[in-house]
Amino acid sequence: MRLELSDLDRDGALREAAAALPDETRKDFLLRTLAGGGAALAALVLAEPGRAASKSDVEILNYALVLEYLQAAFYTEAERRGALRTRTARETARVLGAVERAHVRALREALGTAAVARPFFDFGGTTENEPAFIKTAVAFEDLGTAAYKGQAYRIDSPALLAAAISIHSVEARHAAWIRYLAGAPPASSAFDEGKSMPEVRKLVASTGFVVQGPRTKARAEPRFTG
Amino acid sequence: MVAGGALALVVAGATVLALASRGGTEAWVPLSAEVPANDPLAPPLASGLAVPHPQLLAVRDASTTSSWAPVVRPLRLRAAPSATAAVVARVGVSTPERTANVVLVTGRTRAAADLWVPVRAENVAGWAPRASLGGYESVDTRLEVDTHALTATLLRAGRVVFRAPVGIGTANAPTPTGSFYVRNRLTRYRSPFYGPVAFGTSARSSLTDWPAGGFVGVHGTNRPDLIPGRVSHGCIRLRNADIVALARLMPVGTPIEIR
Repeated sequence: MRLELSDLDRDGALREAAAALPDETRKDFLLRTLAGGGAALAALVLAEPGRAASKSDVEILNYALVLEYLQAAFYTEAERRGALRTRTARETARVLGAVERAHVRALREALGTAAVARPFFDFGGTTENEPAFIKTAVAFEDLGTAAYKGQAYRIDSPALLAAAISIHSVEARHAAWIRYLAGAPPASSAFDEGKSMPEVRKLVASTGFVVQGPRTKARAEPRFTG
Repeated sequence: MVAGGALALVVAGATVLALASRGGTEAWVPLSAEVPANDPLAPPLASGLAVPHPQLLAVRDASTTSSWAPVVRPLRLRAAPSATAAVVARVGVSTPERTANVVLVTGRTRAAADLWVPVRAENVAGWAPRASLGGYESVDTRLEVDTHALTATLLRAGRVVFRAPVGIGTANAPTPTGSFYVRNRLTRYRSPFYGPVAFGTSARSSLTDWPAGGFVGVHGTNRPDLIPGRVSHGCIRLRNADIVALARLMPVGTPIEIR
């Protein structure tokens, strides 16, 4: 079964997705996503004719997308900065980055024009310092795993649930991998608990990694030489 | 843990890591392996998403992708990655047009007592403290300006996506040659002299007494009849249809080579 884009959604799912972002980026996000005034917001439609994805499922997909943007940007930046000391850490960033970018592509394709725009990130040097990189990666992978688990019971579409579980198990493998590198037990409890959206939002906000984008465009008179 | 074997963590075409157990000692061992796009051992994926295969960054990524960062605190650009190295420039947080000032990242971060990032800031190269910069952004575009052929060419991921004739500086106010970058994008200003869109760059004209430091822009014009030609005070002028087309393709942070 495959998710396809077709119908229109004007029910405010995007605005709810925006709530997943910190205050300073919310306005920016909405403006960018809604740019073009009157542009229709697309919803997901399952392959079965006439079955539109629920507002709640669109919200969950966008919530997952923001987390995947965060992880993909983190590993990609670590690889591009090239400052990690050991080959193991560099290869980990390289492989995990590829997987997280695939998650981003999958979610963006499924959401179509309803996909939230990529926020700006400032990882504050954690991609350039190996101990900080590993600690942060453990936190991200544990968080990603808990976040998917926390939404499983809320997902309406069986197809979307199957997709979420397939990503969730990959995040769990990443968590075990990076925990091993950190010298922490990959699995120390018999049962994992999920985290709710508010809990995850609070944790992400507390990192300060999601930031207001720099103002590089303006309605201002040029002061060039001409 | 895996006993007497290896658990491969697989991504197609990648160097993979394997957790190997040999003679009672366990270690992460990098292996090179070509893995088929579809893992023959994996069951078919029955999910609601069309899941693309993971793709590593292309080998050419390093040569076609550039990074930039906003200056979030006024900084002293140093000749070496050290707080005691000579100061080569002072860099502020905003441009003359009051947009965020940005620097082009030119290499790998160096970890000393603090993190230091090699950057090009305005006309000067040096080392900036990481703490003075915001988050990195990446672009895969590059603008090449040929002052002999009087053309501007935009490349994306190494491929030409735009080319147009340009007007450049006169003999008395030549367009500077060298490596620069796009600092900002301006629209909806009053002056028709700059056309509908203007990009601020890090390049400075020889007209150093010009207000606001004599920075060179890439912009439109109200005199398309003068293009191509050597007609400006150092700026790179394009016909308005061309600058509008370029504006759709060229993000802030794009490196500029003027030769």
